[in-house]
Amino acid sequence: MSQNRRDFLKTVAAIGTSAGALSALSPNKVKAKSPENLSEERMGVLVDATVCIGCRKCEWACRGAHDIENGNIQDYADEKVFETNRRPDYDNLTIVNRYESSDEKLSNVKLQCMHCDHPACVSACIVGAISKKKNGSVVWDTDMCIGCRYCMVACPFQIPAFEYHKALDPKIVKCDFCDERTMEGKLPACTAICPVEALTYGKREDLLIEAKRRFKNNPDRYYQHIFGEHEIGGTSWLYIADKDLAGTVFPKLDNRTAPGVSESIQHGLFAYFVPPVAVYALLGGIMWLTKDKKKTEGK
Amino acid sequence: MKVTIKILLLLFICSLSVSAQIQSLAKHAQMNIDCKSCHVCDTPTKADPCLILCPRYKLEVVRHSPDEGPDHIIIDKIKVEKDLYKPVQFSHRLHSEMSLMSGGCSSCHHFNPPGNIVECSECHEPNRARTDLSKPDLKGAYHRQCMDCHYSWDAKVECADCHELNSSETESVRLEAMPSKSHPKVKEPEKIVYETGSDEGDLVTFFHNEHISLFNLECTDCHSNESCAQCHSQKEKVERPILADAHENCSACHDTEDDCTSCHMEMERAPFNHFKSSGFSLKKYHSDVSCISCHTAGGGFTGLNKNCISCHNFEDEDFDHGVTGLTLDDIHIENECADCHTETVYSKVSCDTCHDEDITYPASLPGTKK
Repeated sequence: MSQNRRDFLKTVAAIGTSAGALSALSPNKVKAKSPENLSEERMGVLVDATVCIGCRKCEWACRGAHDIENGNIQDYADEKVFETNRRPDYDNLTIVNRYESSDEKLSNVKLQCMHCDHPACVSACIVGAISKKKNGSVVWDTDMCIGCRYCMVACPFQIPAFEYHKALDPKIVKCDFCDERTMEGKLPACTAICPVEALTYGKREDLLIEAKRRFKNNPDRYYQHIFGEHEIGGTSWLYIADKDLAGTVFPKLDNRTAPGVSESIQHGLFAYFVPPVAVYALLGGIMWLTKDKKKTEGK
Repeated sequence: MKVTIKILLLLFICSLSVSAQIQSLAKHAQMNIDCKSCHVCDTPTKADPCLILCPRYKLEVVRHSPDEGPDHIIIDKIKVEKDLYKPVQFSHRLHSEMSLMSGGCSSCHHFNPPGNIVECSECHEPNRARTDLSKPDLKGAYHRQCMDCHYSWDAKVECADCHELNSSETESVRLEAMPSKSHPKVKEPEKIVYETGSDEGDLVTFFHNEHISLFNLECTDCHSNESCAQCHSQKEKVERPILADAHENCSACHDTEDDCTSCHMEMERAPFNHFKSSGFSLKKYHSDVSCISCHTAGGGFTGLNKNCISCHNFEDEDFDHGVTGLTLDDIHIENECADCHTETVYSKVSCDTCHDEDITYPASLPGTKK
């Protein structure tokens, strides 16, 4: 096949642009954007599982604070619920599970939205309905939500729930860190009611110091790791316990932010609009080359 | 300019006073320190220094016996408008008695400088929304104090076990029963057989009942660092941990260095029998007597003289012959001991000092026998 200088240059140009597009796709080169308002002053909760007694008063208070029928507080002493491993759902924004370890020691762990510092749900939401607030809470705008449920898939903790039982106007629901209450200066409902103060509300950075202080003062009491300090880039809710919670209560998670990988691919695809242009340029180039060939064949 | 000099001067004085304070705390009253920087009250005394409290750990210097403390405490520091529960009536005496076997007063009173007993509320704030996160708030502190033990032995403990509902119409009966309430008597084991795996002899038979009754031991003499769950466990049986230093409790009295075979045997040991070991039966009069009231020499339990007078002083005018089981009649009670007991072995009696041969002991009695 004969190839003139002009054809050669065209091909090189096309390959060059497509290579550029590919490099833009590579996740290592592009970093996920951290939320612009990730404040040093953001709040969090330190959950001390060694203190929790599994009374489930937090569940009662949480329902009450979110206008969910919560019934009689004394009914929550029923321990039968611990027989099944529960997940937060549309009716229970937080739940307490009981885990029995090999040494027959019981530990109770409260689960709810972790209010990640780099939330995967915020990244996945295609209409931008979810946002991470300055005070640390991850909240969402029900009016903007279109019910695509991408946030449910994206969440590494499988927290957002959907009102599947509602035929009309089903909504996404999850723990909102009692956003209304905290704006009024009140504590989140669960932390306010906890009889043993297993839940400590405070500035995230203060809570990290406090957790490490507890490790130091009671080295035998704790497994020396704060779950949520680094996991998936850090969470507002931090957990300490007598054993490793990763792999049992929580999934084993990387320290890289959850949206880091997905966003780098997604954003890389459209970075400065170079890759799309490059792809079209490549396709155009191929078309042009093919057209040339046909002309030669026709002659 | 003058202001700057004044400030510098002030700072200098301050630094001097601080270094002086470190040099000699003994004479700190004469120093130029504001008393209020350490003391709460105007006139601190040695008995009541009214120091400003800080969160500290394991600093407990006040010790009381359970009897000195209050029988019960009504915990009513936390009040909210619509309180679901009545104030908790805490049986302080009962708890302090038990605490003697598991860490003592400091298991609850974990910080108490000299002076009065510090109330929880003096350190733990009633307000949960607070800046100092290093201590739980008052509600958390109360509940943790109770639940640390109560939850560890029974996860099924319910709120109503301590809190009476405000809605309940029945009048409180707990409080009336509380002063007399003390821990039910612990059912002590008769014996424990330890399988030690020792070459000197596998089995060590420990007679718990003998050690208590023979040596007048209190529970706390041996049990001082037990956990409540040792007895109060939700599980059927808590495996008793093998003592790290198994001899620790024994070596205070027994020679555990050289004399192994006194305790370590291949078979279970029979209970201690004073007659078998010494030839002196304790059955008649001495069964209720503690060992040390006869074996007064500290340490060893060497043989004693079997003669009664080696321990008893019968010459005493007040001696009541009735304790022997024979109450003397009016005639014989006037006698001297030696009139009948001609030998020092008091079980032997001779009547012929006064009587004819036809009157002998025990066919004829000088009184009435029980």
